[in-house]
Amino acid sequence: MTAALQRLWAQLPGPAQHALACPTFWGLLLGGIGVWMLLPARLRYGRVLGSLLVAAGGALLACDLPLLGNWTSQGVFWLLSAITLGGAVATIVSRSPVYSAIWFALSLLGTAGLFLFQGAQFLAGATIVVYAGAIVVTFLFVIMLAQPEGHSPYDRLTWGGLPKILGVATAGLLVGILTFMLGPTKREISHPPQVASAAPSPQARAAAAGINSSQHVANLGRHLFGEHLVSVEIAGTLLLIALVGAVAIAIQGKPRLAQPIEEALR
Amino acid sequence: MNELSLLYNYLAVGGVLFALGLIGFLVRRNMIVTFLCAEMMLQGVSVSLVAFGRYHNDWGGQMLVIFIITVAACEAGIAMALILMLAQRAGSLDTAAWQDLREEGQPAFLDRQVPEERTEDRLWPRLTPAGLEPRRDPDEELHRPRV
Repeated sequence: MTAALQRLWAQLPGPAQHALACPTFWGLLLGGIGVWMLLPARLRYGRVLGSLLVAAGGALLACDLPLLGNWTSQGVFWLLSAITLGGAVATIVSRSPVYSAIWFALSLLGTAGLFLFQGAQFLAGATIVVYAGAIVVTFLFVIMLAQPEGHSPYDRLTWGGLPKILGVATAGLLVGILTFMLGPTKREISHPPQVASAAPSPQARAAAAGINSSQHVANLGRHLFGEHLVSVEIAGTLLLIALVGAVAIAIQGKPRLAQPIEEALR
Repeated sequence: MNELSLLYNYLAVGGVLFALGLIGFLVRRNMIVTFLCAEMMLQGVSVSLVAFGRYHNDWGGQMLVIFIITVAACEAGIAMALILMLAQRAGSLDTAAWQDLREEGQPAFLDRQVPEERTEDRLWPRLTPAGLEPRRDPDEELHRPRV
C-alpha cells in the first residue's frame, strides 16, 4: 500500500508534489469547501461543518506563515487577523443584511487593529471613524429604508450551484497564485542573505526616522499637505461632485413634483 | 520583530480578505451585501499597502490608503442613493430584478427553488434593557413646559 503510494508520488510532476506538500494548499482547499458550505442555499449540517472547515483551513494557513520572532506580537497578529477574517467570512455568509453589516463593522475593527499594529495610528482612527462610524451606519440606514422586513428570499439564494462553486474556486486560485508569487520572499526569510547584514536593516531605518517616529501624525500631515497637496484638492473636489451626484440621483428617483407646483402657482 | 515576516503575513491576510470580498461579490444577490463586499476588497488592498509602506519606510502606502478611504466614502454616498432609487423602483434589493439589462439572446435567470425560512433566521438583533426605569412623578409631568 505504502509502496504503491510512493510510486504514485514519484510519478507526480514536480509542481504538483510541491503543492501537495504545502499546508497553504490544504488550508485553501479546506477553507474554500467550508465557505462553500456556509454560503446561502445551505446544506444539512452545513453551518457547523462549514465553520469547522473554515477554522481548520485558517489554522493551516496561519501555521504556514513565517513567525514574527516574538510570541507577543505573533499572538496579537494572529488574534487581529482572526477577528478580521472571521468577521469577513461571517459578512459574506449571513442571511440577513443587517447581520452582514454588523459583522463587516467587526471586520473593520480588526483591520484598524492591524493598522495600529503596523504603526499607522492615524489610519486606524480614520478607519474606525469613517468606515465603521459613517459608512456602515449609512448601510444600516439604507437597509432599514429599502428592506424593512429584514429577510427576503433572495438572501437565502445564490445564482445557482455552478456559479457558487466557480466563485469560491476563483477566489481560492487567486490566493494560491498570490502565495505562490510570495514564495521567494519566504525563502529569503528562512535563509537571509549575507549581504543584508552589512546594510542597515529596514527595522533600524524605520526606527531612525520616518514611519515609526514618535511624531507620527505630524509627519503624516506634513507629507499629506506637502507632497500630496494637489491630490488633497482633487479628493475634495471629488467629494463635492459625489455629494451633488448623490442628491441628483436621489431627486431623480422621486416622482416629479414640479409640474403640480407650477400649475398651482399659475 | 522580523520586518520581512511582517510584510509576508500582512500580504497574506490582505490577499485572503480580498478573496473573501470577491466570493461575496460574485455569489451574493442582495445589492447592499454586494456593495459591502466591494468595500471589503478595498480593505484587503489597504492592508497590503500599509504593509508595503512599513517595509520600505515610505509614506506613500499610508497616503494611498487615506485616498482610498476618501474615494470609498464618495462611492458609498453615490451607491446608497443609487441603491435606494433602484429599490424603490423594483420593490426589492435583488440584483436579479434588473436582469432585463442582460445581453440580447441570453436566457433569463430563473430561481429553481426558494428554500424555506427557518425560525431562527427570523430573529432580529435585540437590545437588552440596561438599568432601571426611573420612577415617574405625576406632578412633575403635569408641570413640564409644553414645547
